[in-house]
Amino acid sequence: MTVLVVDDIETSRNHLVELVTDIGYHCIQAASGGEALQHIDFTHVDIVLLDLLMPDLDGFELTRQLRKRVTGTWLPIIVVSSLEGDEHFVHALAVGAADYLVKPVRPALLHAKLRHYQHVLALQAHTATLAQRQKAINETIADAILTIDSKGQVCEFNRAARQLFEAEAGADLTGRPVRELLGIGLEQLRSTAEIVHPGAGLAPPTFSLSSSEWSIGADSYCTIALHDLSAARRVERMKDEFLATVSHELRTPLTSIVGALGLLVAGAAGTLPPAAMELAAVAQRNGARLGRLIDDLLDLTKLEGKRMTLHIREASLKALLGEAVTANTGYARQLGVQLKLHTLVGAAHAPVDADRFLQVMANLLSNAIKHSPTGMTVDLRLLADPLGWRIEVADQGPGVDPEFRTRMFEKFSQADGSDQRSVGGTGLGLYISRMLVERMGGSISSSSSAGQGSVFSVVLPRLPADRPSPWVLCIARDHQELDRLATWISDLARTELVPDLVTAQALVQRIGAPTALVANPQSQGLADEFCAKLPTITAIDRIVLVGDALDDRFALRHGMRWMPHSSTSREALKTQLLTLLNEASGGASHG
Amino acid sequence: MDELQRVMCVEDDPDIRMILEFSLGRLGGYTLSLCASGQEALDQAARFAPQLVLLDVMMPKMSGPETLQHLRSVDCMRGVPIVFLTAKALQDDVEALLEQGATGIIVKPFDPVTLPKDIRIYWKHGRDIHP
Repeated sequence: MTVLVVDDIETSRNHLVELVTDIGYHCIQAASGGEALQHIDFTHVDIVLLDLLMPDLDGFELTRQLRKRVTGTWLPIIVVSSLEGDEHFVHALAVGAADYLVKPVRPALLHAKLRHYQHVLALQAHTATLAQRQKAINETIADAILTIDSKGQVCEFNRAARQLFEAEAGADLTGRPVRELLGIGLEQLRSTAEIVHPGAGLAPPTFSLSSSEWSIGADSYCTIALHDLSAARRVERMKDEFLATVSHELRTPLTSIVGALGLLVAGAAGTLPPAAMELAAVAQRNGARLGRLIDDLLDLTKLEGKRMTLHIREASLKALLGEAVTANTGYARQLGVQLKLHTLVGAAHAPVDADRFLQVMANLLSNAIKHSPTGMTVDLRLLADPLGWRIEVADQGPGVDPEFRTRMFEKFSQADGSDQRSVGGTGLGLYISRMLVERMGGSISSSSSAGQGSVFSVVLPRLPADRPSPWVLCIARDHQELDRLATWISDLARTELVPDLVTAQALVQRIGAPTALVANPQSQGLADEFCAKLPTITAIDRIVLVGDALDDRFALRHGMRWMPHSSTSREALKTQLLTLLNEASGGASHG
Repeated sequence: MDELQRVMCVEDDPDIRMILEFSLGRLGGYTLSLCASGQEALDQAARFAPQLVLLDVMMPKMSGPETLQHLRSVDCMRGVPIVFLTAKALQDDVEALLEQGATGIIVKPFDPVTLPKDIRIYWKHGRDIHP
């Protein structure tokens, strides 16, 4: 540490220098204020010790000038004087001195003060380093970082932010309202995760937005980081396209291979000799296995990349399990195994993706069937569980090797090949099942003891009060009309949109009847026939017809409500539906 | 017309066309029009008057969905069920195809032994949609 000693009287200066040097600090000296200023300009000085009474430039003025000259860091100035009274020290502190010492300077006190300022300077240096590092990070990072004050105005920004916004504005960002830059206000920033750069040309980039709030005293600030997702999205899209292509390119030849073999085995080209039949069957089986492997790999890639969209809707587990049993009965019969469904609860609804749920059940059931000795039964049970609904698949097979059980839900895990029937698996089924069940908010587990068979359990969360929440189904051929209906209704209840009756029936079969049905018979074939089939979707008094192609008498004949297009305003339709939805919830609470 | 007899298959892969011929022609006993492209299908449609069309999705020049749009504008084709054959099994793709007006989707690889029966279901189904 370097201390500059300034005193015009040589003996007094030498005394101070001696004291400072004795303590162990490096010392430089100046005999006048002018000389001191020169030192400051050319040498690094940490602390200044100066005499207040000097000719020409006195201690007060020197302090003032030093303060003016040394900016960026704080320089401790300790004034020294033998003057009586406190006023001159008060004056010196007022013009910028940090501290004072009375002459004759006592060594212990000097030592203590210098040590104290050394600590302060170390803290200052540390803070400066942090700030420097922070600044370097801020300026080199590719993400735009903005700090917004409580009035919603920018008070700090980095280089990337400058480039992102100034490119078009050509002005300083400080003080600009964040709403002007991002299109949303401070309140919305907190709940927004993604934002499209407003006013950025034809293909505006999407940014992920993260924010953190902090405050100094009563002032609160929000620092936000904007990360450009364009590149990541592009890669994602390329990966999707690649997957689709791979899937297509692999499946096309497989279609011919598996198809030709299937036809051969079925005798479409004449009866095969038994030995040839056996070989064709081997090829056919493995072709099918290859097909499953392609499916599994595609599922896996999508699941691991979190890019599989699950269509989660309330569904009746009973109905789905019934479907699962039907779908797997053929395979069970082939192996001489019985499949039994036991539903031990009343209505059981859970939010699931029906197709994916069936995929999980197919996996568990086929595993169980595969490992069951001929003549045995695979039991499928639906039970209530503290966490929701429990679905159990129990077999009477040899059970799972304890060593394998710990890794059976992992990727590419297969029990060793001693069991002939395990041939044909991909080692991905249980792993995919686990990921699918977890994505649906549930869990999967297994228990098994030697000779007692295995039980695989899926636990799915229950819906609140286990009553399907009200929802509205809209049938219309015209996309724009569907979109309009959706925006009108969506704040009343969940809305499902379908183009035609068949799709509607499929949906209802899967998730149950809608609370209300809005249907437009236009472009649906004969309007009379279309309307006659609507009661297969839901009760007649829950149906609202819309569209100009009909009239009052038509609706009356079918016993349904009707709202012509010309008067189908948002409010009118909402009023109609609200009545239906209220009736539904009232009715359910009585039941 | 209460029985399904005339089936048009549009598929650019010659091997898959052959499988379809074996499956639907020899096993199923249908009268087939095998077309290698969407254009060929359009040329044949009026004369052959199919009761059901199996249509490959990914074809060069005229894609399956494009062919479907064109076929729908042929007079005798208006109510005819059109079923896509696709190797893209992704759920979102399937939904997009259904939205384009297909009666159903058959995913490749399909089973040529059950195909003759499967398409009859789509045919009956299709008559419900396009009465």
